Amino acid sequence: MEIDIISFGRIRELIESQTVNIAGLKNTDEVKAYLEQRYPALAGMKYALALNKKLVQSKTEIEGNSTIAIMPPFSGG
Amino acid sequence: MTNARYSRQVILQGFGKQAQQKLSNARVLVIGAGGLGCPALQYLAGAGVGIIGIADGDTVSLSNLHRQPLYHTADVGKMKTEVALERLAALNPEISINLFPVFINAENCLAIIKGYDIILDCSDNFETRYLLNDACVLLDKPLIFAAVSGYEGQIAVFATDDRFNQRTNYRDIFPVQPQQGEIANCEENGVIGVLPGIIGAMQAAEAIKLITGIGTPLINKLLNYNLLTQEFYEVLITPAPIGSYKLPDSVGEFSKINYSGSTGAKSTEVIEIDIEQLHELLQSASASVIDVREVYELPVISKIRSTQIPMSVFNKEIEKPISVHNIVLICQHGIRSLAAGQILKEKYGSDKNVYSLKGGIARWIGFL
Repeated sequence: MEIDIISFGRIRELIESQTVNIAGLKNTDEVKAYLEQRYPALAGMKYALALNKKLVQSKTEIEGNSTIAIMPPFSGG
Repeated sequence: MTNARYSRQVILQGFGKQAQQKLSNARVLVIGAGGLGCPALQYLAGAGVGIIGIADGDTVSLSNLHRQPLYHTADVGKMKTEVALERLAALNPEISINLFPVFINAENCLAIIKGYDIILDCSDNFETRYLLNDACVLLDKPLIFAAVSGYEGQIAVFATDDRFNQRTNYRDIFPVQPQQGEIANCEENGVIGVLPGIIGAMQAAEAIKLITGIGTPLINKLLNYNLLTQEFYEVLITPAPIGSYKLPDSVGEFSKINYSGSTGAKSTEVIEIDIEQLHELLQSASASVIDVREVYELPVISKIRSTQIPMSVFNKEIEKPISVHNIVLICQHGIRSLAAGQILKEKYGSDKNVYSLKGGIARWIGFL
């Protein structure tokens, strides 16, 4: 199964926006664990996930051709 | 109202004299007269918002000028509020402008925002952002949030109902306030001047929409903007599950929250806490939980996020710098964690708050 990953802010420097094959991963918790394993620096950062443009608040099943956005908080003004 | 000043917006379809009157009756507070605040203030003043409050305790500096077009080179060193007042009053003498030449903090925040209908968060730090968020939820004030980083911006409207009677706040996206230094600000990260110009102008647009009722404001939507690609990415914000964070629900509770980045008085001692205090700490501040048991010890804790640094390698492992400000140590009975805490205290002194879970995992197993 392929999903698109879109990253924002400083996370863009860590994880390029890309299409990844996540065969075997069924939900947002598993994708989160996969990302934090593949990009260990992510585990120490604050970020929010959105699945298909909706904020992820709890474990959500993922369908193929979904988009996951990874968004850090910004403080600048 | 036959005022040529507003004629171009009054003739807009769906706007008219009624909308202009609503702007004239509105009271809008802009927190921070910097990169976001300058354009927001200019458009709000130009549009004829009747009462505009400006809160900023800073002075103009040369490095501000590329993104803060209210100020001129000769203004360097002057109070931002004073210069902003002079420029905005010259732009539109028909409106009232109130100045708060201070930095917003837990003591002055509620009194300042109380007198306004809509609050714009144009600040540049998380301390003010979380403070304002919690204050606006407490006092039921719509909050137009915006922030920038590098070439990107975020904007959203919080603390007011959308058309489905749902409301959210910043903590629904980012429940816990990052520590100072955890996320780079404009000073460290850089910002191109026109970016806060765009986002600040969008904040003014959202304020005008909320006041007049035109269009669909960004309530419960986080709009991400990328200047390099001119792309927008809008995310629907839903409320976080109950218990994900705790907001102050009274003025008394609000005044007790420490937004300034450290939790309580700096202690040179290891502080022993119970499970309730641990949960409070994890909700109100950035903290790392370190399990100092050996890797073979059971049970594995699963309800809170922790890192394992066994006592057998503790001294060696902590030679690496630790970035987080609050460290909670846990072990089976709360004895080794206390000892580990003392090792950290010898290294960091009062620079870090070090906590040990009293009674350990054995006592609180149902909660860990």
